[in-house]
Amino acid sequence: MFYSTRSKLIASFLVVSFLVGAVSLFIGGQLLYKAVLSEATNRVRLDLNSAREIYLTRIKQLKCPLSITTLGFGFLSALKRHDAPELAIRLRRLAQQAELDFAGIVTKEGTTLCRMGPDSIPKEGIQAPNPIANLALKRRVATSGTVVLSEEFLSAEDPELADRARIQLLPTPRAAPRAEKEELSGMALAAAVPVFDKGDLLGVIYGGILLNRSQTIVDTVRDTVFQQEIYKGRSIGTATIFFKDLRISTNVLTPDGKRAIGTRVSKEVREHVLGKGKKWTDRAFVVSDWYITAYEPIEDIFGERVGMLYVGVLEAKYADMRTKALSVLVLIIVAGMLLAVGLGYILEKKIMSPVHRLIKAGHQVSEGSLTPEIGPISKGEIGVLQNTFQDMVAAMGRRRAAAENRLLQSEKQASVGRLAAGVAHEINNPLTGVLTYTHMLLRRKDIGDDIRSDLQTIVESTERVRKIVKGLLDFSRQTKLDQEPTEVNRLVRSTISVMENQALVKGVSIEFNPGENLPMLTLDRNQFQSMLLNIIINALDATEPGGSIRVSTGVSLSASNAGKKGVEIAIADTGCGIPQEDLDKLFDPFFSTKEVGQGTGLGLSVSFGIVQRHGGTIRVQSEVGRGSTFTIWLPVDERGGEHENIGS
Amino acid sequence: MKILVVDDERIVLDSCQKVLEADGFEVYLVPSANKALQAMKKEGFGLLLVDIKMPEHDGMYLMREVKKKWPDIPIIVMSGYPTTNTIEEAVKMQAAAFIAKPFTPDELLEIIRKVIQKEENHESKQSPSD
Ligand SMILES: Nc1ncnc2c1ncn2[C@@H]1O[C@H](COP(=O)(O)OP(=O)(O)OP(=O)(O)O)[C@@H](O)[C@H]1O
Ligand SMILES: [Mg+2]
Repeated sequence: MFYSTRSKLIASFLVVSFLVGAVSLFIGGQLLYKAVLSEATNRVRLDLNSAREIYLTRIKQLKCPLSITTLGFGFLSALKRHDAPELAIRLRRLAQQAELDFAGIVTKEGTTLCRMGPDSIPKEGIQAPNPIANLALKRRVATSGTVVLSEEFLSAEDPELADRARIQLLPTPRAAPRAEKEELSGMALAAAVPVFDKGDLLGVIYGGILLNRSQTIVDTVRDTVFQQEIYKGRSIGTATIFFKDLRISTNVLTPDGKRAIGTRVSKEVREHVLGKGKKWTDRAFVVSDWYITAYEPIEDIFGERVGMLYVGVLEAKYADMRTKALSVLVLIIVAGMLLAVGLGYILEKKIMSPVHRLIKAGHQVSEGSLTPEIGPISKGEIGVLQNTFQDMVAAMGRRRAAAENRLLQSEKQASVGRLAAGVAHEINNPLTGVLTYTHMLLRRKDIGDDIRSDLQTIVESTERVRKIVKGLLDFSRQTKLDQEPTEVNRLVRSTISVMENQALVKGVSIEFNPGENLPMLTLDRNQFQSMLLNIIINALDATEPGGSIRVSTGVSLSASNAGKKGVEIAIADTGCGIPQEDLDKLFDPFFSTKEVGQGTGLGLSVSFGIVQRHGGTIRVQSEVGRGSTFTIWLPVDERGGEHENIGS
Repeated sequence: MKILVVDDERIVLDSCQKVLEADGFEVYLVPSANKALQAMKKEGFGLLLVDIKMPEHDGMYLMREVKKKWPDIPIIVMSGYPTTNTIEEAVKMQAAAFIAKPFTPDELLEIIRKVIQKEENHESKQSPSD
């Protein structure tokens, strides 16, 4: 029973904290993830912009050295002369300085005059088309951008370039199927600058860098945009240049640590970016890891979507951030739950320990103790409970004491009664003899005064014995009550009037304060009067001249029999009072403090019997030196209906 | 007048005898109910003084018997232990009076005189109608 309260309390705490925790974990996790994701996505979007800037800058950078070369001393005349070897030297210097993969000069007719590669001065014949140079010729302005270069072109420029461009398609899950096994073409950044001589177009100088297997752009992106941030041994940021859907330049690594050139993008992204020409930002599985990615199409100089630029951030970092945050949250929740358990335990202790003590105290009371240990009184309801409990026990104690007292009193009365009956019967016969013979002797005229006085003493003593025996008999007699409806006030008044003379003589005042609207009581008037008389006589005996006796009546509720209506008669005197130690013995038969011959000590015990037989009680309050109050309480017979004592 | 005193205690009998004879009554003493009935067959008594508590047959028994045969003889009941019950019973048995032991000679004589007087009044009231 104790434990169930504790476990209930703890369980409810746990459930609440668990629910709150679970909900906040779920919502928090979700929100956190979204926040992290959108943060990461934003970042990637920005990174993609940076990457594009780097890409475009690289394109722009191509034009400049080409233009400068055209301005070089003797270049124009060499071109006019179609001095291929001279131009080839210049081209090689240019390529070296501008880090070009290929460069060449095309005549205004569109044939390649010379190039920087090994076959620097091509023979006459069919040449592979040169898209960038052709476009510049056509437009007659400097042109730059992304171009797709055919294998023939590349191998004509430099067979090594063609080799570099050749990329084997690696099987990639989720990629759109492609028929070919190899990509032979290359994607390049290229620029072409037309060369004029006084308005006449002489030709075009072109140059560029092959993107296939190139590392510069992607690594620049990684190193500048992502600042070589490393997470768990891998760089956070990755960049890739796609040719169509093929990774041709990347720093995304395969699981064995190689650059993932040859792998392809997923079909979804391909359709979205290459197909529809839109940007893509989302979480995506790239080669072997989840990345937060951004893709955008790359258009070539003709405005065709030929490839894609990609940047991606390793999701693991953000996922781990989320996991970290979530684990902190979990930790908080667990701590909360532990706290709940602890708090529940402590609270239970705090709340329940007085209750447990009360339970224990209850056991103690049921085992008969009237002074159970309740412990310190707590505040609040429990304290009220404790106080109530204490009051209850105290009331029980009082009632029990009263009951025990009554029981003891009636037992005493019964045993003394039996004894008295026997004694009285045995004593009264010889007493008859003593009385008769002494009185007969007293009648004689021939006795002297001394004998007469002796006989008188015998008579007096015998009278005393007779009185004692009579008192004993009165006390023991369980006489039936001869009850009739009685006005209490009238009965009390008449009893007082019997005593008024005696009190007047002694110099003690007796006053009567009758209560109003007293119900009629059914009483044995004779017995009741003798009881009242005895108590008033006692009061008078105890009170010195000048003192007073006040008798009052009133309606009252019983002190011991809660809620029962009754009538109280209080006889208060200003007499000597009764010492504490005598209070217990007051109603014992033969207890008297009066001089021998003055009191038999039966008055109060007889009175007690009378009141008890009427169903009432007698209470005594007394203070030595100040006086005593005897209070008689009598129940109102509610069955018989109450007769209001009007006009009392 | 002849008075029969019935009591199992010698001292009570003697006391009654002393008091009543001094006052001029003729007193007969018996210690039990049976003896009393025997005596009553022989003598005519004007009054009976009977103790209630006696061994064998008690005063109540005696009263019943007497009332059957001699309903006119007044009976005074004595008791050393007068309870309301015994008094009530005595009254029911039409006892003429009740006296609690112990008593003084004067108390006894007063009661006897009262009873006799009542008896005389009763008779004088009844005689004209006879
Ligand atoms: N009003 C009182 N003031 C002081 N003491 C009292 C009072 N009433 C009773 N007592 C004490 O209680 C004792 C017992 O009283 P109780 O009436 O039983 O006997 P008693 O008066 O001594 O003798 P009895 O009444 O038989 O003549 C008294 O002797 C007295 O000491
Ligand atoms: Mg008294």
